[in-house]
Amino acid sequence: MIRFVLGRIAGLVPVLAAAIVVTFLAARALPGDPVTVMLSDHSADKVMAAKLSAEYGLDRPLIEQFVRYVAGLAVGDFGLSFRYVRQPVTSVIRDSLLISPVLALAALALALALGSAAGIVAALYRNRMADTAIIVVLVAGLSIPNFAIATFLVYVLSVKANLLPVAGWGTWQQAILPVVVLAIPSAAYIARLARTFMLEVLQQDFVRTARAKGLAESAVVLRHAFLNTLVPLITSAGIIFGSLLSNTVVVETIFNIPGLGRLAIDSVFARDYPVVMAVVILFVLFFAAINLLVDVLYAVIDPRIRAGLSA
Amino acid sequence: MNVDVTGGARELDRATLLRRRFLRQRGGVIGAAIVFLAMIVALLAPWLAPHPYDATDLVNVWAAPDAHNWLGTDKLGRDIASRLIVGARTSLVVAFSVVAVTLAIGVTLGMAAGYFGGWTERLIMRTVDVVLAFPEVVIAILIAAVLGPGLATVIVSLALVWWPGIARLARSLVLVQKQELYVDAAIVSGATSGEVLRRHLLPNIVAPLLVRASVGVGFIIMAEATLSFLGLGVQEPTPSWGSMIRDGLPVLRSDPYLAVFGSVALGLTIIGFNLLGDGLRDALDPRLHGR
Repeated sequence: MIRFVLGRIAGLVPVLAAAIVVTFLAARALPGDPVTVMLSDHSADKVMAAKLSAEYGLDRPLIEQFVRYVAGLAVGDFGLSFRYVRQPVTSVIRDSLLISPVLALAALALALALGSAAGIVAALYRNRMADTAIIVVLVAGLSIPNFAIATFLVYVLSVKANLLPVAGWGTWQQAILPVVVLAIPSAAYIARLARTFMLEVLQQDFVRTARAKGLAESAVVLRHAFLNTLVPLITSAGIIFGSLLSNTVVVETIFNIPGLGRLAIDSVFARDYPVVMAVVILFVLFFAAINLLVDVLYAVIDPRIRAGLSA
Repeated sequence: MNVDVTGGARELDRATLLRRRFLRQRGGVIGAAIVFLAMIVALLAPWLAPHPYDATDLVNVWAAPDAHNWLGTDKLGRDIASRLIVGARTSLVVAFSVVAVTLAIGVTLGMAAGYFGGWTERLIMRTVDVVLAFPEVVIAILIAAVLGPGLATVIVSLALVWWPGIARLARSLVLVQKQELYVDAAIVSGATSGEVLRRHLLPNIVAPLLVRASVGVGFIIMAEATLSFLGLGVQEPTPSWGSMIRDGLPVLRSDPYLAVFGSVALGLTIIGFNLLGDGLRDALDPRLHGR
């Protein structure tokens, strides 16, 4: 088991290395001199330019800048922000750090609950009204982008019915719409998977055996059939978390939530590249961490994976 | 797999069979109709639009729908209906460019990986793994930071996100085809690797690749709209459904027309492409039907 986990961690090295090299090179390939941008009105002031350049380490050779960048990352130092001159990137992102992963996790939980329930119902009522209705909703949920869904929900629930706040962050009422909007596409995706897996499992011999020995239908469906669909569902949770994390950028923009995603977009427009790069690396880290967790969980549930019999 | 030894006759049968299977599916047919309509609108946009898409009318901003502006006007008094119609063009141009670029990159690299094996394969497939480890919006943000927001940013970042999937599929298809006798025959009759790949392998794997690409169009349209919504995509005055919804969102309380009509156009188009994609996939592989 330990060897398995260590192997998976080693597999992350090229991914992180790529993220670090790509962000470093991208930041250096950008048009315009950051010192000129920071000084704006005072860009003619050579002394101040030299001083800032030294503080940001921009006067060093590229290789040395890279070594310093990597050494800084190792201790959680992302350098200095361009927009908030002389402020460390860490202090710019500190308050936003956990909002995106928390939103994504809450949405993942909601999506797993809603999605598997819908999938089970659809599978049990295969090709009947309930199934068809669920499939229509699924196609819509998968197809309509979540900012369009958000537009409708905000219009109906907040503007017309005045039930929930339109935007903002801080109270639990303000968290409801963002989490729901974030969860809808993933719930639809999970429901589709759950329906397929359930249809497959319901045809297995052990389900017939369970029915034959007189178990209640609810026990057959939940304990025997559904538990066996959990392994593939958990595997897909990693991919789903990745897309949820991506989508927090959108949801934070819609609902004006001060998370990492909105910070990244704001920083792109403010040309605050150190912050953009820091957010990129953090997102890759979160994504890698959840995939590692899923792999480990998967190995715990299914001993064949641990032994390397299938993967 | 299917090596066509009998010539055209069998191909024709297969095409007829596929068409019949496809036409039996209500969803696929509805999708095809929506896609057809969207394409006509995009193609004829300049003639269909009742007003120029960039004509401003500052005394008539945020107007409600009436006989003159069927769907109302936006913050600069521009006609929403005309901008939606021209916006269809933006969406489809981006979608088809991305599909073309992803197919070119993904098929070339995937086929090379599958055919040559060894270091070529390891290098390409490791690259695929690394690219897939980046969440897609993150790639777009990175590209937007370097290139600045705009059409190029959208196409480059979406192509970067989509080629690994195509490359994986192309590689696995080549791995299967490589076992076939016709490949050995081509090699012993002196064909170069390039010729084997292009003239012998490619025609035999092109169908599933095209279906896979067509299934992706809906998602690419969604991704384009998302980037435009975030402000990273096509810039003013060129209309894009995503940026129109973004403009409409802050005034949803007083003037909902822009955001709501924009969402309807976008949602319907994507549903159309997804239904069509599902229909095509089910027609090619009936075992998957109803799943």
